[in-house]
Amino acid sequence: MTRWITLALRLVLGAIFLYAAWTKLRQPWLVFALSIDAYRLLPEWAVFTVARVLPWLELALGVMLVAGLQLRLTAMATATLLAGFYVAMIYSFSAGSGIDCGCFGVGEAVSARTLVRDGLLLAAAVALVISSGRRRRMSLAMA
Amino acid sequence: MKRIILFALLGGAAFAQGRLAAFSTGKALGNPQAPIRIELFSDYQCPACKQLHDETITPLINNYVNTGKVYLVRREFPLPIHSHALAAARIACAAEQIGKYQQVCDQMFRTQESWTQSGDVLGAACSVLSPADAKKLRELVSASQASQTVESDLRAGQNEKLNGTPTMIITKVVRRYPVAGPVSYAVLSRFLDSLQ
Repeated sequence: MTRWITLALRLVLGAIFLYAAWTKLRQPWLVFALSIDAYRLLPEWAVFTVARVLPWLELALGVMLVAGLQLRLTAMATATLLAGFYVAMIYSFSAGSGIDCGCFGVGEAVSARTLVRDGLLLAAAVALVISSGRRRRMSLAMA
Repeated sequence: MKRIILFALLGGAAFAQGRLAAFSTGKALGNPQAPIRIELFSDYQCPACKQLHDETITPLINNYVNTGKVYLVRREFPLPIHSHALAAARIACAAEQIGKYQQVCDQMFRTQESWTQSGDVLGAACSVLSPADAKKLRELVSASQASQTVESDLRAGQNEKLNGTPTMIITKVVRRYPVAGPVSYAVLSRFLDSLQ
């Protein structure tokens, strides 16, 4: 049972990360930089660095999740990243700034809907960390 | 020969003015033929709009609009959650009719906190005008033209499916980039340079 749950979680999260990476990489990276900058959480140099690096990180995590490579480590990185996004979105939503969330390209404001969606993704990533850890312990015990 | 030189000089000056000078017709600023067009939707009572106005729009006007690189069109998008935003938008549009849009716009954002609390939006706007202009503004605010302009801007924003304010719609030829939120001048200018 744990095996099927792990498979479903990593495929869903992997597909979403691949889609998120694609929506960012198909447009000029400075468009994503503007979305990050609107949060007003990072200094200028960090905005440019995150805008250049994050889409590729999402792509790498998406590929690793779908392929099931280094699953526990990948799941932990995914959960950490999603937790970071979630904190930034809660901050923006509570400030009522109405900015783009920048999750899947432009045109989607931070809203209750995006918070619920990202909360579910975060919960799925945490569940994946737990289930992949359980599977690892089981395989170690069998060995 | 002197005439030819004179004509050339006058022609050159007119061309330079056409290319570089900011054509201030109130809500629209700059050269309509500029390669980049920015439509800015804002709400005078929104703190993020004030932040964008204070930190980003002023240097944008100086460095991109006045140099002929950007044509800036300001549009009113008063949000229903802000009780005085609609009145402020009407006042700004009335100020445009007496050629004082920029002064009133600057003053609205400068004194945002004060009139948000007191509700005296018109008083705040008039404080930056001469008594004669203030009198004209008071008359024009109650006329229908200002309301019609606000309605037209609101419709334009609804057509763009805006999520909130401030939002800039940056257009270069056929590519359009909606930018929501109080982005910094440093990041915006780098983006605009990349479009040149």
